[in-house]
Amino acid sequence: MSNTEPATNQVTKRDIRSAAIRYMFMACNTFNYENQQAPAVVFGLNKVLRKIHKNDEDYKASLNNHFNYFNTTTWMANLLLGASVAMEQKDGIKSKEAVQAFKTGMMGPLAGVGDTLVWVLYPTIMGSIAGYMGLQGNPTGAIIWLLLNIVFFFFRIKLFDVGHTSGLKLITALGDRLNVFTEAASIMGLTVVGALIPAVVKMNVQLKYQAGEVTLPIQTEILDKIMPALLPAALTIVVYKLIGSKKLSLTSIIFLIIGLALVCSYFGILGV
Amino acid sequence: MEIIQAILIVALAFWMVLDQQGFVITTWFPSIIGMIAGLIMGDVPTAMVIAGTFQLMALGVANIGGSSVPNYGLATLVGIYVALRTTSDIEHAKAIALAVGVPVGMLGIQLDVLGKILNSYVSHAAQKALNEGKFAKMNRIFWIGPLIFGLTTAIPTLLCVIFGDKIVRLLLDVVPKWFTDGLSIAGSMLPVVGIALLLQYMPVKKYLTMLLIGFVISAYLGLPILGIAILGFAFAYYFFTQKMSGTPAAAGAGTGNTSVEGDEFDE
Repeated sequence: MSNTEPATNQVTKRDIRSAAIRYMFMACNTFNYENQQAPAVVFGLNKVLRKIHKNDEDYKASLNNHFNYFNTTTWMANLLLGASVAMEQKDGIKSKEAVQAFKTGMMGPLAGVGDTLVWVLYPTIMGSIAGYMGLQGNPTGAIIWLLLNIVFFFFRIKLFDVGHTSGLKLITALGDRLNVFTEAASIMGLTVVGALIPAVVKMNVQLKYQAGEVTLPIQTEILDKIMPALLPAALTIVVYKLIGSKKLSLTSIIFLIIGLALVCSYFGILGV
Repeated sequence: MEIIQAILIVALAFWMVLDQQGFVITTWFPSIIGMIAGLIMGDVPTAMVIAGTFQLMALGVANIGGSSVPNYGLATLVGIYVALRTTSDIEHAKAIALAVGVPVGMLGIQLDVLGKILNSYVSHAAQKALNEGKFAKMNRIFWIGPLIFGLTTAIPTLLCVIFGDKIVRLLLDVVPKWFTDGLSIAGSMLPVVGIALLLQYMPVKKYLTMLLIGFVISAYLGLPILGIAILGFAFAYYFFTQKMSGTPAAAGAGTGNTSVEGDEFDE
């Protein structure tokens, strides 16, 4: 696309990178209930758009357009914003409506895929590994997570650039692949979550069954014989149903469990 | 020394929310924030135990689409600070961190909402400056946003740093053992909330097999999570390659003409 752009807009690779970093820093840091991420978009793009729109009135019109409601997964937004810059570079202020239509049209689908990948699956898989290692006092998982974040940081800057050079065509094509990718990531995520239940949810029954001379520790001799991690699995199902029924808020469920733990501790039913 | 630690902890509290909402490098996820807090406090192993507990509670708690969630990063940070200031025993530290961290993390929801309301004014002010042609002023106004969000975590942390350990130490003298034990038990049970919440978002019914495989390998064979994650990756990779190459009618149309652009990601 670089050979089709008019010679007057000297948008360099550096401008694009700086726009990406400016948006990425601000992303949700000016988040509000009215136009959500729009101020971050304006903050991110205003330097590069000033180069494109030399005329003050065009510049204002363009930025006012970007002040419209915008919300998608911030990682995916880089693709959209990169493409928006390319559109404004090509057609100037005439592209205003097209830019708006493109952003509104794409932010929903990209958020659907992006939120699942970026805000649910990635923290789940890394959080499970890092959290589980953490319980043993081991920071290795956390260090790996941190390093991956740094890799993704540069990948996201690259995404902005990809959006800028390949624009609309790529984003539509990517959609199909991302869906398969999300499914695959769900498979990995569910395997890890399944493993997590016995590994981290701990409930130890202290009670003993007394029959004449024989004492039978309920936990080791009865529950564990039926199935290891029987109580954690049962608790998971109960809490899963509770959350699903939406009768109790998350906060009340948390305090309910703390209350249950305190009662069981007082009567010596459960132990540390 | 203690003063420097306190300052660094409050600074970390200010930074972590900005990073989570922006760069996403250090984030506010308990594992990572706990590790940094552990380094500041000079006790990484205990900090990691506390962070791990909160991390597992926080699984599945995702602030999607601008929703507000309990701030487990804040919970971890103040939990670690107050616990390490009060005791050196790990089980004890975990109970204290939970007792201090959970309420503060819940308070995080309210403060996040407040921050997002206040930021409406920032947006309006910036747009007004734009329409008056004061472009430099508009750019300066935007910085108020991060300032507001930073304070929503830095202020509660500051209060916990100043008063937290004193109050907790006072309470510990009167609180009976079953109570602190109960909090430790709760700490081992609470990850279930994160897990159950997470399952709501995931295609559990469609891929119940994978959930069961993970459970059996972990419960009966006791394989560590990392090993099971690699196994899960193998399943996922197999699925992905099968889907990409297998059904030409559905996926082929997409893959065929995009392979060139797709390659750009490998650079």
